[in-house]
Amino acid sequence: MISTKLQNKQIQSLIKIAKKIGVALFWVLLWAVAAWWVDSSLVLPSPLDTLKGIITLSGNFKFFVSIGVTLLRVFGGVTISVALGLVLGLIGGLNKPFYEIMNPFVSIIKSLPVVSVIILINLWIASGVVPLVVTFLICFPVTWTNVVQGVHATDDNLLQMAKVYNVSQQRIIRDIYIPAVKPYAVSALMNAIGLGWKVTVTAEVLANALPSVGMNLYYSKIYLETDLLFSWTFVIVMCSYIIEKVTLYIIERNKRKGADQCQLS
Amino acid sequence: MSIVIKNLKKSYGDQIIFDDFNLVLQEKKITGILGPSGAGKTTLLNLCCGLEKPDSGTIEGINPTSISYIFQEPRLLPWRTIRENLRFVFKGQSIKKSGSHDKEIDEMLRMVGLDTVGDYYPQELSGGMRQRVAIARAFLYPSELLLMDEPFSSLDLMLKNKLMGDFLKIWEQDKRTVVFVSHNQEEINQLAHEVLTFSDKPVRVLKRETIY
Repeated sequence: MISTKLQNKQIQSLIKIAKKIGVALFWVLLWAVAAWWVDSSLVLPSPLDTLKGIITLSGNFKFFVSIGVTLLRVFGGVTISVALGLVLGLIGGLNKPFYEIMNPFVSIIKSLPVVSVIILINLWIASGVVPLVVTFLICFPVTWTNVVQGVHATDDNLLQMAKVYNVSQQRIIRDIYIPAVKPYAVSALMNAIGLGWKVTVTAEVLANALPSVGMNLYYSKIYLETDLLFSWTFVIVMCSYIIEKVTLYIIERNKRKGADQCQLS
Repeated sequence: MSIVIKNLKKSYGDQIIFDDFNLVLQEKKITGILGPSGAGKTTLLNLCCGLEKPDSGTIEGINPTSISYIFQEPRLLPWRTIRENLRFVFKGQSIKKSGSHDKEIDEMLRMVGLDTVGDYYPQELSGGMRQRVAIARAFLYPSELLLMDEPFSSLDLMLKNKLMGDFLKIWEQDKRTVVFVSHNQEEINQLAHEVLTFSDKPVRVLKRETIY
């Protein structure tokens, strides 16, 4: 009985994987047909040209250096913005005067066009650091807003219970606010990772940051190496996908039983 | 020390809940309060424990750091086990690690018939079991005053009778002052020493009777 259930589960997951591969193949096929129809690798390289480009790139040590440095910038920007967003968001959610002071600053950063921020920051600091600072400036408001929302959405019933039982503020923060904010923080982290890649690579291009994935993209464009442009883009998408999946895996592994149950029981 | 409510006034916008309201609640007795829905019974409990502030008037004889409250819902931390939920209300007691209160906690869990589920999470228990945890928490907390807001209202008859029996058994041990709000005359008659019947807003005590 149990083994039949397990077999069914395995079959279901195999079907799921097959479906995903099928969908991916459909799009690759569509791309290949479009490339064949256009018949110019300068305008639209085929999937095979892109794959060849990746193989050529990976034969060069600089390829890995560029990815490594860009990864460091993404991680640096995202880590700093999420860490500060968590701490300041928690304080902002709990302390109204602090929220009133921070909110205009966060709102202004949120409404600034990314390009303006990049160009402005590039006037003040070294090119290599610009992507990191810009990533922080773009990702921090996302985390801050999510965490403040999480604090405000904390179950009032639990807070009232803690107040009646004279529970210390420190314990209330640790055992009510932080677990309640967790789902909001996780969502902020996932958003920040997604945004972080896009912003970092854009900032690398505009700030001429070297070595970087962004500048390699730029060189591919100016030397009309469209196949390499596609290869670099594919590398970025894959890196972003892998980091997102690894982060989700780590979060799932560390999730305590019942930790996702934020509703009042 | 009895609880003395003097010239209490409380309103929400145009709705006057208490207007020059006076009442004395007996010490170390269970006082049951009956009354229509929305009359202000829960508001009175919230005023007693400081969750709400009166517009004017005073409530004397309550130590604000010595109150337990059994709410209509269990109000347990969903991300903590039952044992951790009980440790949560003890000052200086780590929530995750066992400590000096663990013996009391185990004893109380046994009394309310939950000694086998201490490491379970609230969502793994039935509604009645969770409410028993809330009762255990209220009695474990060293309080002089216990407030109860229709704690048995969502339970089926058999479970309700069992829980009320458990409640009286535990109360007999330390005889705290209890203020118990309910719609249900039977529940009140079964538990209370004194029954107050409230009128609709603004609240007046229509009837005051001693059961035993």
